[in-house]
Amino acid sequence: MSSFARMKFYCDEKRCIDCDGCSVACDEAHELPVGISRRKVILLNEGIEGKEFSTSVACMHCTDAPCEQVCPVNCFYIREDGIVLHDKNICIGCGYCLYACPFGAPQFPTDGAFGTRGVMDKCTMCAGGPEPTNSDAERKLYGQNRIAEGKVPACAAMCSTKALIVGDAQSVSKIYRERVASVGHGVQSAPYGWSKAYGK
Amino acid sequence: MANTWGYGAMTNSLNDIQNAKAIIIFGANPAVNHPVGFRHLLVAKERNNAQIIVVDPRFTRTAAHADLYAQIRPGTDIAFMYGMLNIIFKNGWENKEFINDRVYGMDDIRKEAAKWTPERVSDVTGVSTQKLIQITNAYARQTPGTLLWAMGLTQHTIGSSNTRIAPILQLALGNMGVEGGGCNILRGHDNVQGATDMCCLSHTLPGYYGLSDGSWKYFAKSWGVDYNWLKGRFKAKEWMNKKGFTLARWYAGVLAGKAGEDKIHNAGTNLKALVVLGNGITSIDQQAKVKEALDNLELIVIADPFVNEAVVLTDKKDDVFLLPAASQFETSGCVTATNRSAQWRSQVIEPLYESKTDQDLMFELAKRLGFYKEFTKGMLMKENKKSFKWPEDATDEFARIIKTIGFTGWTSKRLKNHQKNWDKFDHVSLMGYGPMKGEYYGLPWPCWTETHSGSPVLYDINRSVKEGGMGFRNRFGLMHDGVDLLAGKGSAPKDSANPDGYPEITAKNIEKVLGITLSASEKKRIGKNWKVDTSNIIAQKCMERGMAPYGNAKARANVWTFPDRIPMHREPLHSPRQDLVKEYPTYKDKPNHYRVDTRYASEQDKEDWSKKFPINLITGRLVNMNGAGVETRSSKYLAKLSPEMFCDINPGLAANHDIKNGDMMWIHSPSDTKIKVKARFTYSVAEDRVFLPMHFAGYFQGEDRSAHYPKGHKPYAVGESANTVTNYGYDIVTQLPETKGGLCRIEKA
Repeated sequence: MSSFARMKFYCDEKRCIDCDGCSVACDEAHELPVGISRRKVILLNEGIEGKEFSTSVACMHCTDAPCEQVCPVNCFYIREDGIVLHDKNICIGCGYCLYACPFGAPQFPTDGAFGTRGVMDKCTMCAGGPEPTNSDAERKLYGQNRIAEGKVPACAAMCSTKALIVGDAQSVSKIYRERVASVGHGVQSAPYGWSKAYGK
Repeated sequence: MANTWGYGAMTNSLNDIQNAKAIIIFGANPAVNHPVGFRHLLVAKERNNAQIIVVDPRFTRTAAHADLYAQIRPGTDIAFMYGMLNIIFKNGWENKEFINDRVYGMDDIRKEAAKWTPERVSDVTGVSTQKLIQITNAYARQTPGTLLWAMGLTQHTIGSSNTRIAPILQLALGNMGVEGGGCNILRGHDNVQGATDMCCLSHTLPGYYGLSDGSWKYFAKSWGVDYNWLKGRFKAKEWMNKKGFTLARWYAGVLAGKAGEDKIHNAGTNLKALVVLGNGITSIDQQAKVKEALDNLELIVIADPFVNEAVVLTDKKDDVFLLPAASQFETSGCVTATNRSAQWRSQVIEPLYESKTDQDLMFELAKRLGFYKEFTKGMLMKENKKSFKWPEDATDEFARIIKTIGFTGWTSKRLKNHQKNWDKFDHVSLMGYGPMKGEYYGLPWPCWTETHSGSPVLYDINRSVKEGGMGFRNRFGLMHDGVDLLAGKGSAPKDSANPDGYPEITAKNIEKVLGITLSASEKKRIGKNWKVDTSNIIAQKCMERGMAPYGNAKARANVWTFPDRIPMHREPLHSPRQDLVKEYPTYKDKPNHYRVDTRYASEQDKEDWSKKFPINLITGRLVNMNGAGVETRSSKYLAKLSPEMFCDINPGLAANHDIKNGDMMWIHSPSDTKIKVKARFTYSVAEDRVFLPMHFAGYFQGEDRSAHYPKGHKPYAVGESANTVTNYGYDIVTQLPETKGGLCRIEKA
């Protein structure tokens, strides 16, 4: 990873098939409460020929993150690699970040009779939180820290058509550029030869 | 399929779809049912500019990614494909050389296709003539083109004709035996192909050997048991050769004799006990009959890792046993993928709690019933051992015995080696490199010998037999009606010693056909024909001569042993088009169809069903659910995506019945059954049809049966089973139920 890289998600609408593999992988990996959806697949114009499409949305880890700007208690912090995280021990669950977020990413617990608003939860790009890396405390509050283990976030790892890609922005754009450039250039199968099984 | 060219299996592979220039999909929804495999279609679209064409009664997620989409009326695929063939023949787009050398009976198809003008097809299928012409243009003029299908094509009274007209379309275009072409049937569950190959079926022995005396004797010898002992296990010898009940109609075996039930032919007795090993019988058609049958059994034994909802459906209280079966992670062995390739799996953990693996359940049962020794003997025979090692010796047993589909090369040692080196195979061609050079991933069958590469593309004459090439199988004799059934001149696989067509190899003809001389010892050891030659001399000699043991023949478009020699359109038993029923009536009633008298004409003619039941009913799957659904509904994250049973309904149709989005509604079937479900508005279904997902259980005709779950085992999501209202109707050859083309009536609840 170059020192200037920022981590980004990209979802290729042409490849997304609304399978929800990403959102279920996220729920399962972080053992989220059922009411919390860090990642969601959005389907639009269902059943209308030529217009139906889907895409997968979570926190986009903005460079100039509006959530961070509006938070009254400054619970957000942005890592050097661009991943936007927050400290649940500071968060007061006011919901300002939800007003500010252009993607509806912040989630609040909905259990209880009146939809009690607890501290905010959102996609961490599988990078945990401020607690010691891979500690029980971190896992309990933020879920897995796969980035620290050198793993791809669970959602993109699970994506069945590789519509959802994640990584530093340069790698993401490289993958996408290659996809675009290879259009119409035929299948990429390795030109392996044949070894002789029957001696001839 | 098997009756067209020899084998009833996917001819290419999901990976190979990347090579296609055009992709046409009938009655399959891979974006939902094979989401990972669907990637190959998307890549073909990106890199090959392949057009994706979807023909389906419903605008599916797959259709959303299609370049062309036709909303066909359920059960009219034959008419549609004849319409395509009509246009193809009229414009001379067929592959004449391919048809001449490798196809029998195409002239009969040509005659029938001439009747299916675009106007007529449009009237029957509901697809506009422009759309039909546009699709035919797009598909026929781009080669290679691949054709995909799944249950939407097979689950009809005419399913066995549907699965012939699709191969015929591919044969006409010369799309068979080429990379990027083929008939790619998408198998619905893990290891369905393996279960079929191993014959979890009632009409054949493992490896499609049939039920003739010769087959029984071959297996008796190969299993090391006395043929007479096997014979003695049957009530009378004749039952050895008769097909059994099928999964679709076992209930008739219990209910026969009651008023209004179909008659059975089962040695004078009804079925009394049911043993279920890993089958979600709540996903079977005619759920109300299934319930009644369960209630009337003397004994029910169910082995499943989850609570099989048969026990929730039944009111039977005693003699119902639930055995905790272990999951796939608690055992090891090989499974077969949709493309005929094997995959070895290792055990992750020991079976939890008191659960047992399937094989242990069966071993224990065999011990109690007193035939454990005979049951397991086949595993000892290869090396004449005293005890067996599971699953290696089981794999080696079938590799030793099953020649028909070329299992000889599937030794446990080789399959494990593929598991260990799975990273050393190309993702498109499946060809290995480095230490795996000369083998295709998973050794797709036929894998003729212990050094054979496997066959990634069936019927490919552009590669040599030892590299997985072959012609069509010589399975239907040498001549029919005076026409030679062997392949034409020069159409043998690459590097073949015989450049033309040749018959299947037997001990009698091997010297002549292969042009070799056998030694005295070889003559002594050789088996009667390639299917029973455990000496492997035939396969070995064939490889040396570059010839396929099963011969090199023509595929047949005319199957003279079937009720319809060429595929004919016939309206579903319950058709919304009464005018077309007269023109395209169904079959005569069929007696003793897998032991059950089955109604066709008498059901279709009983009344004008479309008057009381004017709406088409189709069923299918959801991406987050699997099969009968108890496993996936027991996962809270999967259940969250579809927490309730629902009915997809067009807002236009709903408005006519005063049903609002989210309202509860009743769906009534012609069998006098009903379900209560939630309406979900979508334009993916037209105004004359509704769609139901097939994964729910726990409710029955409006009644919540949750109390029947053992404590703590109720899934997160329960609901009405779609199969309570799917209609009566069974395929004329295979007896698959007609779940994809019935009728219903709806009302606001």
